Amino acid sequence: MGGSWLTGWRHVVLCGWRWSYAGSVTRTGEGVEPFLRLWSRGTGSAERGLRRLGTWGRRRMTQDFTSQPPRRTKRTNPFTRAQEEDWRRRNKTVLTYVTAAAVGMLGASYAAVPLYRLYCQTTGLGGSAVAGHASDQIETMVPVKDRIIKVTFNADVHASLQWNFRPQQTEIYVVPGETALAFYKAKNPTDKPVIGISTYNVVPFEAGQYFNKIQCFCFEEQRLNPQEEVDMPVFFYIDPEFAEDPRMLNVDLITLSYTFFEAKEGHKLPVPGYN
Amino acid sequence: MSTAMNFGAKSFQPRPPDKGSFPLDHFGECKRFQEKFMKCLRDNHFENTLCRNESKEYLQCRMERRLMAQEPLEKLGFGDLIGGKSEARDKS
Repeated sequence: MGGSWLTGWRHVVLCGWRWSYAGSVTRTGEGVEPFLRLWSRGTGSAERGLRRLGTWGRRRMTQDFTSQPPRRTKRTNPFTRAQEEDWRRRNKTVLTYVTAAAVGMLGASYAAVPLYRLYCQTTGLGGSAVAGHASDQIETMVPVKDRIIKVTFNADVHASLQWNFRPQQTEIYVVPGETALAFYKAKNPTDKPVIGISTYNVVPFEAGQYFNKIQCFCFEEQRLNPQEEVDMPVFFYIDPEFAEDPRMLNVDLITLSYTFFEAKEGHKLPVPGYN
Repeated sequence: MSTAMNFGAKSFQPRPPDKGSFPLDHFGECKRFQEKFMKCLRDNHFENTLCRNESKEYLQCRMERRLMAQEPLEKLGFGDLIGGKSEARDKS
């Protein structure tokens, strides 16, 4: 008998929680009973609650428990009770799984950022969604001979850098799909070795996406010894799809502009990639 | 270029070069080829198509002197120049 009372207490605790939540007023067993009787006509859970509290009321109050006839519904059947317990256990399992899945999703969304970075570093995609578009494309691309584009070159130097940096040709005429070479020249007139780092810009903005550099001298520190002069090549091509873009119909001039900065400790250049 | 006030517009995103950066030619080992190329450009009114041979030679010089990673010339877009050298000569 003790076992059944224990289970009874457990159900009471559950119900006590439920009732105080719903009613927001804690009532004694006496006050609750008529209320429960009203409710008992409604939902089935209340009926269950009624049965539980009925037990409790019988336990706590010294009232005659005959006033409330014990309900001999099929819910007092030990089989249904076991089934309910089974349902409750299964519900708890499902709830645990769902919560675990939700927490897992949250964690995965946080972990996705470094994982993607790692993936890009290993596969070398570096931000572009298409893999290997460069070397295969260069091999197979066909120059579009009827679209001649003039590429002008511009060279800039940051105020603190004392290099003489200039292009060796002011312009060059290329066609899309053809690789082209261009040269810049830089001289260090000072008596100290200077390290510079450069970035580039392409105007007009929309044409910049078709301007592909195979190799150049940008984004890496370049060291010039005192009084040294070097040639800096840029090997590039314009994507043949340039000729098929309707927005590029009127574009005949592309300007490539390089700017050199002095590479100082802690100086951060807008270098592309994952930094 | 767009002004600094233009927050909504896309800004230019510089992309790293496909094959990285050229090491500097501190000793001028390929300067001769470079001068040949520049002369060719100046003679041909800066048309790149006519000076592709010279640019190929410059890059070959760089590759020989370890100033550039070895690459088959097709991958650099000089596929038509390898087989038919005379073809390029005829064009220019």
